[in-house]
Amino acid sequence: MTYLQTVWQVFRKDVQVEWRGRQGVPVMLVFALLMAFLFNFALQLSPDLQAGLAAGLLWVSLAFASTLGLNRSVSLERENLALDGLLLAPVDRSAIFFGKAWSNLIFTLLVALMLLPVFSLFYGQNMLKPGLLLVILLGLGAYTSLGTLLAALSIQARTRDVLLPILLYPLALPVLIAAVEASRGVLSAQPLGELRSWIFLLLACDILFTAAGLLFFETILEE
Amino acid sequence: MFKKPPILILLDLLSIVLVPAALILILFFTPVEAVMGPVQKVFYFHVSAAWAGMLSFIIAAAAGAGYLIRRDLKWDQLSLSAIEVGVVFGLIAILSGMIWARPIWNTWWVWDPRLTTTAIMELIYLAYFILRSGLATPEARARLGAVYAIVSVITVPLTFFSIRLFRTIHPVVIAPSEGGSGFNMSPRMQLAFFISLAVFTVLLIDLIWNRTRLAAAQAKIQMGEN
Repeated sequence: MTYLQTVWQVFRKDVQVEWRGRQGVPVMLVFALLMAFLFNFALQLSPDLQAGLAAGLLWVSLAFASTLGLNRSVSLERENLALDGLLLAPVDRSAIFFGKAWSNLIFTLLVALMLLPVFSLFYGQNMLKPGLLLVILLGLGAYTSLGTLLAALSIQARTRDVLLPILLYPLALPVLIAAVEASRGVLSAQPLGELRSWIFLLLACDILFTAAGLLFFETILEE
Repeated sequence: MFKKPPILILLDLLSIVLVPAALILILFFTPVEAVMGPVQKVFYFHVSAAWAGMLSFIIAAAAGAGYLIRRDLKWDQLSLSAIEVGVVFGLIAILSGMIWARPIWNTWWVWDPRLTTTAIMELIYLAYFILRSGLATPEARARLGAVYAIVSVITVPLTFFSIRLFRTIHPVVIAPSEGGSGFNMSPRMQLAFFISLAVFTVLLIDLIWNRTRLAAAQAKIQMGEN
């Protein structure tokens, strides 16, 4: 089996589990929607404030909701010792990382795609823009890479489920800042050229966190 | 085995003498800044503490890499010690900065890039202790702690850079100036500044070294228990 085939098999397995159980994406989606309502009451959003805050609220909702999926993607493997099975397979473990990181990316992208029309309604502006989709792809790519790495790390601790957010949020901050700024720019109709430093920063995070996964996933899972 | 090496004793003595000496130098030797007044003197220890904190986090990441390559718990003890000492220095930098900010900015805290980055850095390394406390074996603590220390040291400059893209109000002291010297300070201020940096570096090495010896002693006791 080639490296890419291994990645594909892990990815396919995760998608299949999600398709049959439907316990990740719906949970994240409902959670993200709940966040939108909580923000509305907590921040007492007036209509003129809402437009400017939409980008920030979208990303905070996505960031919080993703941790549920990330935690689940790894804790799933602990049930019935599935993780041991995965680790016993004679394959490069970084391939497992890519399979899982990309399935997590697909799930969170799905959530984002379903959130966008709803946020467009709630915050009174069209958020289904190609530029925003690009920012979401780059931002979630970096976020889920780092998240998958840290989820594999936190799963080994006694405090596993509560640990991931504490590790992930501060480390993912550059991604979130760049994503929020780029999204805000896109929504206020700035051309992508003006937002290039944010886009480059997102790309840099994508590359760095993917490299970190490639480098450290094996080390994290060795026993 | 646990006899103190002479160099460490020397470092201890140097720290004990040099820190008060630097303080005396700052209080009586440096001029009072024209606009800000005496509170500007916080600057010397403030920047030195921030420098020591950042240096120790880099040491921690390097020691983490050392552990992953060598698989010797000594490296992990160094990494842990550097982070512990670094968190304390980071806290000193934040608190001394707040003391300065209260009269100068008229507030204890602003959401400025450097302040925010430093605070986030503290949170990242506080999470390091939470991670370690949840892990059962010294080997797992060392292995995962090393990975976390390395990943953290990558994201901290990224965070700094990303917030820096916003506008900052934090004073930039070391920057190209008209004089061409690169420092917006009088010669006496510069001297005191560099001495503070050197003193804090000595103090940092001394503290990390002592803390590492403590970690080694702890490990030995725990080995004896099992």
